[in-house]
Amino acid sequence: MKLKFLPKQRSSEFPFTFGAPAIIWQILFFYFPLLIIVVTSFINISELGEIEGVTLKKIALFLSPTYMKVILSSMLLGVSNAVICLLVAYPLAYFMAIRGKKHKNLLLFLLIIPFWTNFLLHVYAWFFVLERDGFLNTLLLKIGFIHEPIHFLNSIFSIMVMMVYYYLPFMVLPIYSSLERFDSRLIEASLDLGASWFQTFRRIMLPLTLGGIRAGFFLVYIPSFGEFAIPELMGGDKYMFVGSVVSHYILGDQTGSLGAAFTVVACICLLLSAVGLFFLLNKIILPKRKK
Amino acid sequence: MKNQAKTAKIASVTLLLFTYLFLYVPIIVLLVFSFNSESFPAPWKEFSFKWYIELFHSVYLWESFLNSLVVAASSTLISVVMGIFLIFYALQGGRIGNFLSLFYGNVVIPETVLAVSLLGFFTLMSIPLGLTTLVLAHTVLGLGFVIPIVYAKFLELDPKLTEASLVLGASPIQTFFKVTLPLLRPSLISTGLLVFIISFDDFILAYFCAGSSSQTISLYIMSMLRSGVSPVVNALSAVLLALSTLFAVLFFSLKTKVRIV
Repeated sequence: MKLKFLPKQRSSEFPFTFGAPAIIWQILFFYFPLLIIVVTSFINISELGEIEGVTLKKIALFLSPTYMKVILSSMLLGVSNAVICLLVAYPLAYFMAIRGKKHKNLLLFLLIIPFWTNFLLHVYAWFFVLERDGFLNTLLLKIGFIHEPIHFLNSIFSIMVMMVYYYLPFMVLPIYSSLERFDSRLIEASLDLGASWFQTFRRIMLPLTLGGIRAGFFLVYIPSFGEFAIPELMGGDKYMFVGSVVSHYILGDQTGSLGAAFTVVACICLLLSAVGLFFLLNKIILPKRKK
Repeated sequence: MKNQAKTAKIASVTLLLFTYLFLYVPIIVLLVFSFNSESFPAPWKEFSFKWYIELFHSVYLWESFLNSLVVAASSTLISVVMGIFLIFYALQGGRIGNFLSLFYGNVVIPETVLAVSLLGFFTLMSIPLGLTTLVLAHTVLGLGFVIPIVYAKFLELDPKLTEASLVLGASPIQTFFKVTLPLLRPSLISTGLLVFIISFDDFILAYFCAGSSSQTISLYIMSMLRSGVSPVVNALSAVLLALSTLFAVLFFSLKTKVRIV
């Protein structure tokens, strides 16, 4: 019920001025720069910096198989990172949210500490572990599991280890919060009614936590697609991903507008792949309706 | 049935153990070797604080550390203040719902793309790159967290409280400062902490938007990584880990339910 004698809430002395700064900032420093990148990739700029007209040449340059391969490998990197993170994160989030009880906050706390420490230090730590004379090789040699040190670094393996290490919390936290809202009595009900553990998981838990899974999946997939520091440091320049090509062109001499064009092409591909993955995820997780 | 429950319990504990081992083994190895008197890859020799002493004498490190603190503090302050302004406007009956979706873009776009476009923007406007441009960039990142989170918390507040305050004769400004703001304080602080940490640990935006003259802690670590390993980085990790532990303690002691990612 609205009270009739309330003084008029809207005060004309405080107009839009207070709402404006955040909105203006966001438009000026987020949307406008993005627009600039899009425009730059479609115009021809002379050596003197004058605009000479519209061109599709720069965009077309990046539609070649070489660059498409780079984009595809970034997608693959992102998807595999998201899938591995999901496989590790879901059980972890489940035990934290539903079985954690009094250890819940401690587990969450221990997950957050590495997450809030500069990731370059973790890269450095993994160098330490994976190096030829590093911790892992020494350990494996000592227990007699291997007889020769293995080259872990500069491989897809080391890139993936670091990617999963860094992005895991992005997956755990949204799934954790959706599982916290999940009524665990539903599990008991389903088990009591004769469903197996797997059926309960597949038909009750997964569909009801789709929101968290989806949020986590894209929180991992999207930044991994543009990641360039981890592949470069852990892969030793051996592998080309979108991030490395973008930074190469953007920071290169006179190649800024090419970098813009590649960014636009990559972003369009990212958008398309994200839409595809969205529907794929729904299709996999939601139970099929019986006709 | 009992057996099954036991197996499930053992499986879950093992799984937790392995995941946390994966998270903490590198950190522990790093910390242990920060006290080794010999530089890596030499095996453990003897306990020493040598690398910590060297760390505290490094001028570049402290300069970049200070830069990072200044950038993180300013971008946190700016984004939180703008968030407070926006809430004030909302309390006056401003319609924010329509503008809110503007701020979701920050999560949808990879940071690399934002960094690249901001670099293009700064170049076009001939704004010299430096700490100022970095603050501008990090504030965008911060707004993407502050606005959606704080506005959601604002909507959760009981409107009866502000109505009561207005009915009892408080002006809209008094109501804002005495009712709305104190109620939002925990979520404002925890979001502020979050923005601070994101800015402090950020590498991608710093890499593109800080220019070559100003260094942040991330750029400093990057340059050390490229020039080969040194136990000084181990010592630095110990310091920064202590710092992030402190932040996590602060964050958890606020007991607000704010999304972290």
